[in-house]
Amino acid sequence: MRLFIREHRPLIFMQIAQLFLVLMIYWLDGYRHFLTGLYSVFIGLVALTGYLVYRYQAERRLYRTLSEPMAELDDSIQGLGQGPLPEAVDALLQSQYGHYQERIKLTEKARKDHLAFMNQWVHQMKTPLSVIRLTMEQEDDPRSASVLEEADRMEKGLETVLYAARLETFDRDFRVESVSLKTICENAIRDNKRLFIGSKVYPDLQVDPALLVESDTKWLGFLIGQIVTNAVKYSAESHEKVTFFSFVRGSEAVLEIRDRGIGIPPEDIKRVFQPFFTGDNGRKFRESTGMGLYFAREIAERLGHRIELESEPGTGTRVRIVFISYLTTV
Amino acid sequence: MQRIMICEDDPKLAALLQANIEKYGYDTGVVEDFSGVTDFFRRYDPHLVLMDVNLPKFDGFYWCRQIRALSKCQILFISARDGEMDQVMALEYGADDYITKPFHMEVVMAKIRSQLRRAYGEYAERTEERIVKLAGLQLYPERLELALHGVNSMLTKKEAVLLEMLMRRSPRIVSREALLEELWDDQAFVDENTLNVNITRLRKKLQEFGIDASLETVRGAGYRLLPSWEAEELS
Repeated sequence: MRLFIREHRPLIFMQIAQLFLVLMIYWLDGYRHFLTGLYSVFIGLVALTGYLVYRYQAERRLYRTLSEPMAELDDSIQGLGQGPLPEAVDALLQSQYGHYQERIKLTEKARKDHLAFMNQWVHQMKTPLSVIRLTMEQEDDPRSASVLEEADRMEKGLETVLYAARLETFDRDFRVESVSLKTICENAIRDNKRLFIGSKVYPDLQVDPALLVESDTKWLGFLIGQIVTNAVKYSAESHEKVTFFSFVRGSEAVLEIRDRGIGIPPEDIKRVFQPFFTGDNGRKFRESTGMGLYFAREIAERLGHRIELESEPGTGTRVRIVFISYLTTV
Repeated sequence: MQRIMICEDDPKLAALLQANIEKYGYDTGVVEDFSGVTDFFRRYDPHLVLMDVNLPKFDGFYWCRQIRALSKCQILFISARDGEMDQVMALEYGADDYITKPFHMEVVMAKIRSQLRRAYGEYAERTEERIVKLAGLQLYPERLELALHGVNSMLTKKEAVLLEMLMRRSPRIVSREALLEELWDDQAFVDENTLNVNITRLRKKLQEFGIDASLETVRGAGYRLLPSWEAEELS
């Protein structure tokens, strides 16, 4: 409405000026019937009002669309009503919408191709890794142990890439079931066996074997794996333990993974869950992508768990995964 | 002898699998022509097939179906794809089990053995007992027994694991990490203390045989077993 008035303000002024101009010419010509003159002006104004009301009715949708921001992309092709101007604007929006759609489709396709390529590539890399591992497992010398350790790291990296790619299609890729916290911790520890031993850090498992939580085995395993990797990495060479501890807090079950490593500086704690954030520690230690805890939080959110983190430089870090629904078997 | 057919298009991986499987006393046949897998199957008539999923021309699922039309033999899939859907598909096509790459050889062997056992039963002629020998010292890892010149002694599981590794690598040094890796199993996670304690116990056991100071500590590197008792006996 406001836009319509603003748009037609010059027309209104023009019309009024014109009416009085005509009246003035008659006046100068010697015409002295003042009331009749005003009446003609009044008729003119009524006609103008009628015209404006008609225009407003006809183009109301156009003006509403123009003055209100679009809620979503599809709103742009709703149709703006009859008349040359609404139809022209309509056509313009339609073509713009078409172009955008096409562009989006192209980008989407490129991204999908890229993702498919990544997936395929990662899977292809697994064969050479298998060959390396089998060859090295036959050897007895310390160099092969070191190669195996590196192969483990590569495997972890590849796995992370796969999981990151899968995160996008998460809703199609998970199954919630009752998962034993102890089993899943044992698996995470076994997967990181060489990392533990190589870093001279040892696990200490104090998880209640009767505790079952509602979660997805694969994703929860990956999540715990990320936290374990961090715990071991940041307490390497400390000869300390990484403690896995479970307890029930009110209506929630909690898994706490505690390391006694270098800890996180207080100014970094708030940002550790941000993607690509490596912080002070990340810069000191090699191969920090800054993605581990970000993935952990993303996955936890999607699985309906919560992550709590407490840390003190010099004494270590505690990461807690909070499960809202749990069961205890007797 | 049981025959195992290996259908894997990476020649190195196939050769490694072949070498390892043959070490355990099985006969192996490696497919080389991936357009005639079923022909090879007919000729070789294996007890068990190791099948890769990604193969040139047709994939492993296809060949699995073809083989199923011919035989009920055991089929084990080996694949890099670890998605649940792939595993479900493999099992739907008639596979008996599924192993994901990269794998540990022990896992492959354990699965092969369990499949063969399930399908053909335990063979009466059991493979010979494993014996680790070093200069007259004999270790029976399956019985957890140690023998030297007719004297026997029992060991614990952990001691046997440590001693086997030390004997196999003697006189080279075995790193602490390697020993820890061997000791570590799924139930009990060991730490350095466990290793120290077991090494001490092992030294005591060896002393019972009159072997002193053979199990050396090498600072910063690990341990090594030197067969010094041989010389003692001769003198």
